[in-house]
Amino acid sequence: MNGYTIPTPLLWVFAGIFGFLAITTLIFQVLSWKKPTPLLQEMLLRTRSWWFMAAGIALVVMAPPIVGTIIIGYVCFVALREMFSISGFREADRPAMFFAYFAIPVQFYLAYQQNLEVFYYFIPLVMSLSMAFILVLTGSTESIGRSMALTITMLLLTAYLLSHIVLLYNMDIPGYHIGGGGLIIFLVALTGFNDVFQFFWGKLLGKHKILPTVSPNKTWEGFIGGIFSTAGLALGLRFLTPFSIEASAIVGLAIGIMGFGGDVMISAIKRDLRLKDTDDLIPGHGGAMDRLDSILVTAPVFYHLLTFFIPS
Amino acid sequence: MKHLFQHFFYTFFVRPWLRFIIGVRFENIEAFQKADQFIAVANHNSHFDTVSIMAALPNHKRAKTRAVAAADYFGKSNFTGLLMSLFFNSILIKRKREQGEVSAIDILDEHLKKGDSLILFPEGSRGRPGVISDFKKGIAILLQRNPNIPFIPVYLDGFGRVLPKDSFLILPLVCKVRFGNPAIAQRHDTDALLEEVKEAIFSLKNEDERDRNHF
Repeated sequence: MNGYTIPTPLLWVFAGIFGFLAITTLIFQVLSWKKPTPLLQEMLLRTRSWWFMAAGIALVVMAPPIVGTIIIGYVCFVALREMFSISGFREADRPAMFFAYFAIPVQFYLAYQQNLEVFYYFIPLVMSLSMAFILVLTGSTESIGRSMALTITMLLLTAYLLSHIVLLYNMDIPGYHIGGGGLIIFLVALTGFNDVFQFFWGKLLGKHKILPTVSPNKTWEGFIGGIFSTAGLALGLRFLTPFSIEASAIVGLAIGIMGFGGDVMISAIKRDLRLKDTDDLIPGHGGAMDRLDSILVTAPVFYHLLTFFIPS
Repeated sequence: MKHLFQHFFYTFFVRPWLRFIIGVRFENIEAFQKADQFIAVANHNSHFDTVSIMAALPNHKRAKTRAVAAADYFGKSNFTGLLMSLFFNSILIKRKREQGEVSAIDILDEHLKKGDSLILFPEGSRGRPGVISDFKKGIAILLQRNPNIPFIPVYLDGFGRVLPKDSFLILPLVCKVRFGNPAIAQRHDTDALLEEVKEAIFSLKNEDERDRNHF
């Protein structure tokens, strides 16, 4: 690893994250030794899963970009596999789904190579048309429209949206030296804490339901409290980014709003399928898609705001 | 030599491939630790059923475990028969007996008497994805004749979509193998015993559906 150094601010951020996790684990562990309750067991399980996720995020942020690209690509594969598993596809859709998986390495390679032109048309154009054509070739036309729509939707939701994170590795911004890692941890932290903020403000003040038929626990109070808290956090983490004060506040608000959007979008899909979680892959958290729901949408929004505010 | 090969093949290739690429989840894999000799009884939708159960076995038990397969399907050529024996320690039995031949049940019974464990699919055929068809009586007769050998019920979910009958395309999709704890059959009458085994598999199926957290 010739000349590969990890920027100091990133080390501090992760020292903070792992320190926080260590303290949380210790508190829960001591409490459950004293008096084990089901809630404490659940919290311990969740914290244990967070250790793994935090380690994954640390690698994505601090290891060389190729490592992060492969990790995000694999996570994307798991998410797509999960969605294909629950969406009720027909037997005739199997070849199209098989084909869809191969879009992931191609899309992430394009993102890694910064081949922006092909990156933008590969899935919406090449994959959508070829999957539709494969579906036609199978000859079963019964509800083929649903399959055509769903295969490409799932691929867009996972591969197309998530691969925007990889683009952040190669942003060439004059005077900014923390690099892709800083941008990615900024995005991940804001998206993650936005969920937490919205949850806590909702618990604290929540009265007016925002989308009762989709997500009955979400309220206007939680939403508004959440996005402003996220904007506040964006200002606090500005040292990780090349943004001005105004720009980071706007990015924070946008991530707050769009994170909510991604969350309710996946909630609506789950409700349609009568599922509470997309899978039980991550103990205490549900499936990969349950965790990724917000960042799917915030990743491309963040990338485009970045190119808007910081023309390179 | 064969078992050493299986040991490495399953540990370093099959298991990681099933878990990380295909998306197989193993539940209560400890069930195999609790019985020395057993008959694993599973529902059957896919060739992957056998692969997954073999992969779930602890290495030292796999050497003594044999998957029961149809001779009329897998024994068509010597080559497939050899492969089946290499990967699954298979016993090939004929689904239809011709006159003068030793019955399939006697063959299996002999293996049990020698101390082998069996993997058995009492439906006899893979059928349509997600459908559990009627059980053949053989399993009940084997358990009757060997009252000290426990059966391990296995419920396989989703494998019919990963690799259904009549398909060659292996599609990664989330699927589950759920093992029940080894149980000594309590009933004596053949039909009642068959019902007992079937109930054990269906109760795993219900457990599986409850875990899925529907609204």
